[in-house]
Amino acid sequence: MSILYVLIPLALLILGGAVWAFFWAVGSGQFDDLDTPAMRILMDDDKAPKSDANANTNADD
Amino acid sequence: MATTDTCFHCALPNPAGCDFTVEIEGRQRVVCCPGCKAVAELIRDSGMSSYYTMRDTPTPGVGKPPDELAEWQAFNNDEMLRAFAEVTGVQAEATLYVGGMYCSACSWLIETSMTNLHGVKSVEVNPMTHRVRIQWDHQQLGLGDLLASLANLGYRPQPLAPNDASRPEIEEQRLALKRLLVASLGMMQVMMFAVGLYAGDFQGIDADMQRFLRLVSFFVATPVVFYAARPFFTSAWRGVIARKPGMDLPVSIAIGSAYTASVYATFTNGPAVWFDSVAMFVFFLTLGRYLEMRARHRSIDRSAALSQLLPNTTTMIVAGEKSVVPVASLKQDDVVLLRAGDSIPADGTIINGSTTVDEALLTGEAKPQARQCGDSVAAGSVNIDGLIEVRVVRTGRDTALGTISRMSERARYARPTFVKLADRIASHIVVALLVIATVVALYWYLTAPEKAFVITLSVLVVTCPCALALATPAAFATAGSRMSQLQLLVTNGDAIEVLSKVTHAVFDKTGTLTLGNPQIESVTVLDNKYSEADCLRIAATLEQASSHPIAFAFRSDRSLARVDHSEVHVAAGISGIIDQQTWRIGKAGFATSDHAAESSDAVYLGVEGHAVARFELRDQLRADVRETIDELRAMGISLSLASGDHEDRVKEVASLLGIRDVSFGCTPAEKLKLIESLQKRGERVVMIGDGINDAPVLAGADTSIAPGHGAKLAQTSADIIMLGDSLQPVATALRLSRCTMRIVRQNLMWAIGYNATALPLAVAGFVPPWLAAIGMSASSLVVVLNALRLSRFT
Repeated sequence: MSILYVLIPLALLILGGAVWAFFWAVGSGQFDDLDTPAMRILMDDDKAPKSDANANTNADD
Repeated sequence: MATTDTCFHCALPNPAGCDFTVEIEGRQRVVCCPGCKAVAELIRDSGMSSYYTMRDTPTPGVGKPPDELAEWQAFNNDEMLRAFAEVTGVQAEATLYVGGMYCSACSWLIETSMTNLHGVKSVEVNPMTHRVRIQWDHQQLGLGDLLASLANLGYRPQPLAPNDASRPEIEEQRLALKRLLVASLGMMQVMMFAVGLYAGDFQGIDADMQRFLRLVSFFVATPVVFYAARPFFTSAWRGVIARKPGMDLPVSIAIGSAYTASVYATFTNGPAVWFDSVAMFVFFLTLGRYLEMRARHRSIDRSAALSQLLPNTTTMIVAGEKSVVPVASLKQDDVVLLRAGDSIPADGTIINGSTTVDEALLTGEAKPQARQCGDSVAAGSVNIDGLIEVRVVRTGRDTALGTISRMSERARYARPTFVKLADRIASHIVVALLVIATVVALYWYLTAPEKAFVITLSVLVVTCPCALALATPAAFATAGSRMSQLQLLVTNGDAIEVLSKVTHAVFDKTGTLTLGNPQIESVTVLDNKYSEADCLRIAATLEQASSHPIAFAFRSDRSLARVDHSEVHVAAGISGIIDQQTWRIGKAGFATSDHAAESSDAVYLGVEGHAVARFELRDQLRADVRETIDELRAMGISLSLASGDHEDRVKEVASLLGIRDVSFGCTPAEKLKLIESLQKRGERVVMIGDGINDAPVLAGADTSIAPGHGAKLAQTSADIIMLGDSLQPVATALRLSRCTMRIVRQNLMWAIGYNATALPLAVAGFVPPWLAAIGMSASSLVVVLNALRLSRFT
């Protein structure tokens, strides 16, 4: 059972890391709009003639 | 998707004979104007047609580009860049307010098209606050170019000065989210350790391991108490100082004492710790507050921000030189030049020229007002026909318009009396609870001292009147935001409660049941020398001098005759000389001498005092009046019609709709008397009428609803304003208000019932602290979730 004396502090460290990461994400505005990102996956601009042209030139290179 | 009757892009009705079409995703779509056509083509050509399939149904007119093009180039200089953006090297960062953004698809459209611009580094769009934050290279791209490309998509952009750009709601929401996360992660961890500790209680546990688990629980629970639960402590302390103990006081006592006792037990090897109960309690409370805050923020709608009512740019004169400048840079004593049709950008005094101005936005007066040199003009009014130079006196928020919009904003934030009452009751309950808890503590201390602390703690937690305090505000906030989605603006928080009790509705006719723009119904030619077409042509010629609603009925595309000495006679009609003959149009007594005795309200056309034609005008009923009236009747509401109009017209409308109680030819004072007599009979009255002319009548009724049209919104004194051309929102508002009060009653019954059951059990010592925390939190969540049902009301 003495492994717990190592594992639990380790878990707390990871927890601290997760909290820090979340605070950073909130602070940089990633959670301000919770609706648009869900839609973004459904909308892509592949149909854009401009980006098609870009894709072709890239392929030629 | 949009039908062919309405514009594919902006959803406004298409004008008759409209032939603008755009091909999108293989089909021809009808749009209402060249502006919408241009926007739709731009969206299609940039490969973003999927915007149209993903967006929510737009409020009609939202995406329609303005008729006049703002001069965005004025923003393309260094001075403007410094005023609106933070510049570091070649990088600039600015926040723009984007009017007309209403759903996630809009934010996608903006983000994608802005990112495609050359020189733009990053774009952050927030549809909730209508703000876009852009980072770009200001040597490749001017601020004006960014604004212009947003305007090309049909939005109404506005750069924001750095102080206007910060949003308290965003800060509040971010902080609440961090607190919620700390509480939830902390709770999960502490619960895990608690499982170990509880298992140890049954199976036996190493003394060292027990101490170790308690110690880590302490480490995790500490940020939960001092960070996540901090708002409860500060608000409780504020309540104590103000001698108005709120529901946060018992919450704070419970959290504080359980935490202190657990810390003490941890370091002295006491019998038990309650870190798990503390963390769980804080988590559920924070979750309830977070949900309530989201509902509240959604109901804040500042899309009609003051700046949107003013033009973006104006022409300034400095030492005889004209230059186009952004309105935001105007200062006192600047001189601006305004052409016919320009909006006036600031309060000021005319120093050159004379004109007539439309001040409908400020005073509600639809008639244009004459203004000469030396007179003052107000921001937000429109310069109709003259060329004037104005010396600026006040700008921005100091103008009369700014004051009005600040006042209406404050009204929207005020808490309804009903909610205040609930708060007062909650504070009495808090005092009672503290007394009960003390009595319980004393009793158990005398009979079984080892149980006294645990039981008192459970009593404090289980009886927390959070659900009681959340019951009403949560429902009202949700109802308010649902109403604005349903085309109803609530300007007075009390309106929802009063509306739910209404038994009688009084309607005005003109502008309420009808659209308020009369049309010519029939033409009777009285002099055979003239044809009907001649009469209409002459009438249109004369009426072009007037801007009275009746005059609009005569507007036509026909070529007009030449008219000299055209003159408007107030409350009578218009005269003018056509082909050396004096023509008059207006009331019978004014236009003719042979029909002078007739008092009908038809419009007469006469030449040299001799009657030529009679025009019957009629106001169109709103499209869904009958359905709405029937629905109201089905709800058990009695109806009256009170109008200032003539007897036959009013009776005709009344019989069409089956309204029996009819008054006609009423002055506002008589309408008020009618409402008072209804109130004396014990009826609760809602007045549905034009908010501008009937202000005292609207104020006299228990509550009021007014149809609103863009510019007049700020002036309307009604409690609820309905947007759009339909009358249906009246019935919706009534149903929604009744539903809201039903939910409030359910919530209150639930909260009271829960507390009444839980209290005796806790006092008797049957409820351990962790169960108390679950019970109390669950009852708060039930209340909030029940209120959120209103956001799906249809």
